[in-house]
Amino acid sequence: MIRSIGIVGAGVAGWMAALALGRALPGARISVIETEGPDWSLGPFGPGEASLPGFESWLADHGIEEGVLLRAARGSFSLGTAFSGWAGQEADWFLPFGTIGAPIGTVAFHQLAARLRAAGHPLRLADFSLAAIAAASGRFARPSADPRSVLSSYGYGLHFDRTGLAETLRTATGLAPVGRFRRALGDAGITAVEIEDGTQVSADLWLDCSGPAALLAGRLDSGWESWAEWLPCDRAVESWNAVEGVPPPYAHAGAFEAGWQRTVPLVGGQSGALLYASAHLPDQPGAVPIAQGRRTRAWTSNVVALGAAATLVEPLHGYNLALLQNALTRLIGLLPATPNGPEPAEYNRLTASEADRVRDFAILHYKTNARTREPLWDHARAAPVPEMLAHKLDLYASRGRLPVYDDELFEQEEWIAVLDGQGVRPRRHDALADAIPEPQLLAHAARIREVIVDAVRGMPHHGATLREEGLLA
Amino acid sequence: MLVGRILVVGGGTAGWMAAAALAHKFAGTKLAITLIESAEIGTVGVGEATIPHIRHFNATLGIDEADFLAATGGTYKLGIEFVDWARKGDSYIHPFAQFGESVDGVPFHHQWLATEGAGAFEDYSLPIQAARRGRFRQPGGDPYNYAYQFDAGLYAKYLRTYAEARGVVRREGKVVDVALDGESGFVRSVTLESGETIAADLFVDCSGFRGLLIEQALHTGYEEWTHWLPCDRAIAIPCANSGPLAPLTRAAAKQAGWCWRIPLQHRTGNGHVYSSGFLGDDEALEVLLEQLPAEPLADPNRLRFVTGKRRKQWVGNTVAIGLSSGFLEPLESTSIHLIQVAIGKLLDLFPTGDWDPLDAAEFNRAMALEYERVRDFLILHYHATERDDSEFWRHCRNMTLPDSLAYKLQLFRDRGVVVQYREGTFLEPSWLAVYLGQHVTPRHPDPRAGGEGVAAALAAMRAEIAATAEAMPRHETALGMGA
Repeated sequence: MIRSIGIVGAGVAGWMAALALGRALPGARISVIETEGPDWSLGPFGPGEASLPGFESWLADHGIEEGVLLRAARGSFSLGTAFSGWAGQEADWFLPFGTIGAPIGTVAFHQLAARLRAAGHPLRLADFSLAAIAAASGRFARPSADPRSVLSSYGYGLHFDRTGLAETLRTATGLAPVGRFRRALGDAGITAVEIEDGTQVSADLWLDCSGPAALLAGRLDSGWESWAEWLPCDRAVESWNAVEGVPPPYAHAGAFEAGWQRTVPLVGGQSGALLYASAHLPDQPGAVPIAQGRRTRAWTSNVVALGAAATLVEPLHGYNLALLQNALTRLIGLLPATPNGPEPAEYNRLTASEADRVRDFAILHYKTNARTREPLWDHARAAPVPEMLAHKLDLYASRGRLPVYDDELFEQEEWIAVLDGQGVRPRRHDALADAIPEPQLLAHAARIREVIVDAVRGMPHHGATLREEGLLA
Repeated sequence: MLVGRILVVGGGTAGWMAAAALAHKFAGTKLAITLIESAEIGTVGVGEATIPHIRHFNATLGIDEADFLAATGGTYKLGIEFVDWARKGDSYIHPFAQFGESVDGVPFHHQWLATEGAGAFEDYSLPIQAARRGRFRQPGGDPYNYAYQFDAGLYAKYLRTYAEARGVVRREGKVVDVALDGESGFVRSVTLESGETIAADLFVDCSGFRGLLIEQALHTGYEEWTHWLPCDRAIAIPCANSGPLAPLTRAAAKQAGWCWRIPLQHRTGNGHVYSSGFLGDDEALEVLLEQLPAEPLADPNRLRFVTGKRRKQWVGNTVAIGLSSGFLEPLESTSIHLIQVAIGKLLDLFPTGDWDPLDAAEFNRAMALEYERVRDFLILHYHATERDDSEFWRHCRNMTLPDSLAYKLQLFRDRGVVVQYREGTFLEPSWLAVYLGQHVTPRHPDPRAGGEGVAAALAAMRAEIAATAEAMPRHETALGMGA
């Protein structure tokens, strides 16, 4: 039975864990211990963070009003991520939060699109996504709850700075840190953590939210699986650029010769992270080494590693926060009932499986890149990928089918949006798509465009929504 | 070469379901679908009982529910009642719905386990409470699902009419020879007893246990699971209806197997699935006759089977669907469902003529997972028992489980956690129904469960469910069968 929980790391991961565990176990004593340096609990990927859709319900479930968070954290809204320079040096595409097109019967939209392409009608999937069109025209309103409306066909993520997020979470817990980390005690597990005033804090269960430093998990035999052979970036540089005006309602990932640049626009500035491979670019000022991969056993003994202490993966899309959110839900469903119970094994099985599928999603962007005559990118295209990803890619390339495995964070639609954006075109399309006459397909596609464009015309600009909600002066 | 001609070998439930689905999907194209069947060869007519997915299959084909029920003698089904499985005298129902609702963010079953005096687990299931009272109502907004029980022979006929109206050509005849392409090993044609040869691009083998194409011609091989599921015989006998029409399939455990009872509008289907290693054929018939609720309407129909699955279910240009692809006893009414899953995957991966081996590889991967996960679920019913009254049950209690199931069972036994997955038929509520129905009680409750006010919340849930069930019409009334 867990009576006390110790959390090392007073950043986003630490306070999110404190809030979630505090709600699940109202009787438990929770001690949060601060650590040195910036909050890298989700990785050193910039002072701003991006969420996937669904985070707003997590906040509501945990008693935090979205507006309160956004006001405290320079917050704004997001409809997806714009990728530039990945599908070729000059090519852009958009990964939207929401559905793309609409099926006819049981034939998926991307199969209909493939059939139309084969008939000589070039089209891009993202042109049939409301979120993508709205993002491109700088508009944002919350989706409709009416399933018949096209305005229900998308979701939204949030952009915020991590300091404001951590502080909002902390306020919701009603707790303050008990002190600053000095050292951890214990070998097979953590018996106590000594803080700077010399006090030893003890707990039944420890949560390592200290980021890549992994101050607790790193001491134990928790193992580390490196993803360096597939994800070449091994340095990160965080930045902040003050910018006036209305932030765009989407994040940006721009590839260059030696890596890529992440931009998360906030009110009053842009959070940046430059990710690159040190083999292809001389060291940049402020660069920190990153080792992408995951802990073999995120839960070892009485320590559960969370956030970047468990999985460190470059933030191509807002999945790091989602991984943390899922890890907490999983942990709460598997809180140990007795010592030496089966919970850690099941937790680790699910956590590893989910992390590996996100790894595959990240590798996908490298494997399918179309930048030529640049060693990093040429190599990434040629190098073999993990087997389950290879099966996915083969099946998609063959006929546009995409199996979704157990424990996947992303649905078929997101995988297909990336593949399509990157310019991967299946060799064949679904035979069922051939059963539909071409004029009917063209009319179907035109109708979707029309409905979306009409709906977007009626949406307010992102700036207007931000002002309306008191987020922008 | 594009796939232009499909030959379905074998009528029966699988053959006509496949033909109907293909005809529907490819309506308006030049695809030619032929089905060969022989009146001389009987069909097994497996799976008179189904799970809710069948409604989706029918709906996709545009089949009207009332019309279908009238044509097949069909009845509504809210679940499966398991009698005498873990202990003699037991009865529990596996419904198509979740149990209760979470309280304080803690899943219902944890709260129920941690609360003294919270009544039976089944008190928290509206469909079970309705079924226990012989009542049925369309769910409307209520969170439960339902399936059907029907005459599989009549269903095949119904789909035959449907398929023929949409251009499927039925050929009467017996296949006596299969010609393979020397180079690719693909099936090129089949020859009928009349000497006529029928060629096609894609062959769907619905020929039943023997696997006329997939096994007899292509020698694909079979993975046997009899060491986990030892039943290998069945006897079926229909009888007249007696008493109220239960919206339930019944599966009663016997000394070396189990007996099914499936109420239809016009008769009741009965059968005994047993293991010949533990029970003689004559005794098996006696066991079945003993518990028959009314006079038999026909002679006993005897079946032999080997539980397991074909090593591959799609080989070259041949796709096996139904009993030719494998056999899992109908304890959880999955026979028709597995046919349906295979048809769905064939349509998803429908060959486009260049025969990319990836299509077959993906089909085989997904079907193997489907079969294995149903298999594990079935084994649970036999293994999680306290029965000690026959060799058969002692064997089941003590057998070594597949690792995948041993892990699931251990986790539930220790901690009440159900292993969840995305690919597969049976989800958490199904596993809970069977675990708890068979007295697999978690040793340690969830540390969050059992807070203040939980008992009151559970009592309110229970009362509301009982009142709602009580207000439902009788099953016969819901079917429009009069009093």
